[in-house]
Amino acid sequence: MAKNILIINTIPNGETMAKLKELSAGTQNNIDWVDASALHISHCIGCNYCWLKNPGICTIKDDYEILLKKMVHSDVMWVISETRFGFLSHSAKNIFDRVMPLVTMYLHFKNGQMRHVMRYKNKLDIGIIYSGEGNQEYLERWCERTAINFGSKSIGVFSEDRVKEAVSCM
Amino acid sequence: MHVVIMNGSPRIKKYSNTDKIIEAFGKGLIKSGATYELYTLSDKKEWDAAREAFYKHTRILIALPLYVECIPGLLLEFLETLHKKEEAGTEMAFILQSGFAEGCQLRCGEEFLKMLPEKLNCSYGGCLVKGDNFGIRIADDKQLDQMLTPYEKMGELYGINGTFDNEESRKFTGPERFSLPIRMMLAFVFKTFARKRFDAVAKDWGCIRPLDDRPYQQTL
Repeated sequence: MAKNILIINTIPNGETMAKLKELSAGTQNNIDWVDASALHISHCIGCNYCWLKNPGICTIKDDYEILLKKMVHSDVMWVISETRFGFLSHSAKNIFDRVMPLVTMYLHFKNGQMRHVMRYKNKLDIGIIYSGEGNQEYLERWCERTAINFGSKSIGVFSEDRVKEAVSCM
Repeated sequence: MHVVIMNGSPRIKKYSNTDKIIEAFGKGLIKSGATYELYTLSDKKEWDAAREAFYKHTRILIALPLYVECIPGLLLEFLETLHKKEEAGTEMAFILQSGFAEGCQLRCGEEFLKMLPEKLNCSYGGCLVKGDNFGIRIADDKQLDQMLTPYEKMGELYGINGTFDNEESRKFTGPERFSLPIRMMLAFVFKTFARKRFDAVAKDWGCIRPLDDRPYQQTL
């Protein structure tokens, strides 16, 4: 069955996204491309309103709401990021920090991990594509851990010279 | 000893659990005879002064909440504006705190903090790791005291030792994983009392929908 794939680019020059677009042309999946580098997306301010005041809705009124709505109806989310200190850039990290409206305040144990109860039923798997000097091992660990928070799995972490491999995982 | 403390939480100071932790920790520092200056990075107006302090001083302590398995985006944005220190000899230590109580929840974030100082030509002075702090924001004075007093003790120890690389700091984390009976008890609490408590806080904050509502279920 065709998957709904959300691909979010955070690199301003768009080169990696262009390469990915070219390689993934003709896929059976439904790919939704979002160039977040051209959007206005703030950092999470940790207000907890999306858990305790206005459940599921972010209090920051910027372009992120577009992404949130797409995430609810996607099976996989890929984030394209530059790297800083071997890790994601702050623009990409903000995309992940702002997902809090997708989980609820309630807690439970899931697969041996204490976790927030997911708000929606879809399982959003996660993949990362990065440019620059990423710490591959750390990024893989981080992506796996982060997927646990989504109640899903990591599809993998790929440097931009391995974009072809990433496409084969889509 | 003089310590530059940076609050790396993106939450405004008034509601920042990290700020309350720093306040308690700072009390202990002062007791030990050390001094400190504080920069609150949620306020971008403080970034210039924080950068200047980073370049000028040799003992930097960043306190932060765990955000999605690593450091908050806003703190990362601030760090991206720093360049490597020209001279070696600066030590960066960290206080990493989170809502989830088990130590294992914070290890991925801690791992990043271990790697970070080297990228800025600094050395790593250890990380004080502790979860179970979500309640600071909604605690009464007595509960708050219980949660924060241990940080005062750790501040005093840090003032004396100048590092978190010691047994007391490691023990401070508490259990890496809860035992099965504790987990079963917690799982019960999560389904019952904790839900009620969260519902009550939400009502108090003016929430009029169920906490597990799905506002975007229908939108496509």
